[in-house]
Amino acid sequence: MADHLLQVHDLTVKFGGLTAVNRFDISVERGTIHALIGPNGAGKSTTFNCISRFYQPTTGTILLDGTDVTTMPASAMARLGVARTFQNLELFGELTVFENVMIGAHVHAGRTWRDALSARPPEVAEHAEHLLERTGLTAYRHTRARNLDFGHQKLLELARALAIRPRLLLLDEPAAGLRNREIAALDALLTDLCRREGITILLVEHVMQLVMAISDRITVLNFGTKIAEGTPEDVRNDPAVIEAYLGQEMAHA
Amino acid sequence: MSDKTAAMAPRSEASLPAGWSARGIPFVQIALLALAAAALVILPFAVTGYVLYIANLLLVFVVLCLGLHLVIGETGQFALAHAAFYGIGIYTSGLAGNAFGWPFPLSMLLAGLIAGAVGVVIGAVALRMRDIYLALATFAFGEAMQWVFLNWDRVTGGPNGLRISPARLGAFEILSDKQAYPVVVVMALLMLVLTIIISRSRLGRAFRAVRESEVAAMAMGVPVRRAKIVAFGLSAFYAGVAGSMFATFSTYIHPDSLGFQTTILVLTMVVVGGLGSIAGAVGGAIAFGLISEVLRQTPSYQEIIYGLILIVFMMYAPRGVFAFIRDRMGRAARG
Repeated sequence: MADHLLQVHDLTVKFGGLTAVNRFDISVERGTIHALIGPNGAGKSTTFNCISRFYQPTTGTILLDGTDVTTMPASAMARLGVARTFQNLELFGELTVFENVMIGAHVHAGRTWRDALSARPPEVAEHAEHLLERTGLTAYRHTRARNLDFGHQKLLELARALAIRPRLLLLDEPAAGLRNREIAALDALLTDLCRREGITILLVEHVMQLVMAISDRITVLNFGTKIAEGTPEDVRNDPAVIEAYLGQEMAHA
Repeated sequence: MSDKTAAMAPRSEASLPAGWSARGIPFVQIALLALAAAALVILPFAVTGYVLYIANLLLVFVVLCLGLHLVIGETGQFALAHAAFYGIGIYTSGLAGNAFGWPFPLSMLLAGLIAGAVGVVIGAVALRMRDIYLALATFAFGEAMQWVFLNWDRVTGGPNGLRISPARLGAFEILSDKQAYPVVVVMALLMLVLTIIISRSRLGRAFRAVRESEVAAMAMGVPVRRAKIVAFGLSAFYAGVAGSMFATFSTYIHPDSLGFQTTILVLTMVVVGGLGSIAGAVGGAIAFGLISEVLRQTPSYQEIIYGLILIVFMMYAPRGVFAFIRDRMGRAARG
């Protein structure tokens, strides 16, 4: 039996009379990259926000490594090793790049009183510097986050999420608005994080170039319901997917 | 990495508070600190009792501002009940001295703790709200407390005010502003150091995270509600300590001075000094405290002039006078 880090069973989310997600199941295997795709309004972000505990599902269960986290508060997820980024960037704009990453390490920065009182707890600050280097942000260490250009802001969100030292990394449209060259770099970085460090990644994404290149598995949502699941190859050739989603894009392409 | 951002980076570095970076020793800051320390030591030997009274009062306002800085400047929560906690501090330490003859360090601690505890309780309720609703809820609490100060005659003396017996420690009694001054200075410095420690710590980072983005703070594992309540409680603790400092050199307190006007005065100091910077809070307290002493000669214009100063700052230096000067100096240095 496959080793699943994240299992979502029978997830339903209703906003008033609207059913955004309907009896949805998804299982993410440990150490893989899993993409959640679908046309606009399909319920991807709603599902994503349930898993990161920002929305409360109407019914359903969410298991992280076998533990039920369905009623956990969002602020408890970091300590469980779940990190997320935001579709519309939620950086700490007035703070420096370095401080943004340091706040990402919040749950690791209070192990001792000395650490908690320090502006740079040694081990945590070292890891933060390492993450800046990895995302190419070292030169901007003292820059306020809001003064970075869009591409660097996206990278900073990723660096900040990595400071949580996540088991599960939830990425909400990481490639949106990036240039081709930046997407290629993101592709390499995410693949590396997964293959070399064993971080499990679940991403919601519209940019097919990225999804098809890096995903081990793809789940397709439409109108709140799962319509297909499988390898990029399976999904690409699935008639229902072509009909619902790729069809429109292929027609234009 | 584009050239545009590379060119932008040093400029945004220049706009950061200098002296907080690891690069180089901040000579200017050290010189200013030495100057300030010398002034604080020399002052009691150089001036009259009245000037020392003003100095004591300014230092009380410094502590009030540091407290408001924590909740508004660092955490971004607009709480408008500072005068109420200040009043709780004054009455607590005054009554602890009057009724039980407690030594003043003990009544100071008690004043801070009681104000802080009330702050935590009020914060737990009020901080369910945000922005203007939070401001209104805390404003209402402040007004209610002033009513309590005015009407709880048996404890506060009501509209007759309360005589505060001299602060004592064993056989030593504080009978003049000059005697109170060292105590007030030491307390103000302790609170300043505490503020710097908090601001640099994990807790300070959590406060700023809440101010900048509550959802992102949550995703980073910051318990947002708890952080807000802690900030609010700390700010009330500061106000309580400031109240007990006031009680060491004052012989009398009347509820009239514990209303919304005082809260607005402290808020103005923090805003004019510069939201979000400790130096701004301290500088704002001193600068505005002096202005308000000068304006005491013309009480009828006082409010109008406060209002004008606030408007001018909001228009031309919204990030405060210190950020304004720093930007100007930075621009001049770049040519």
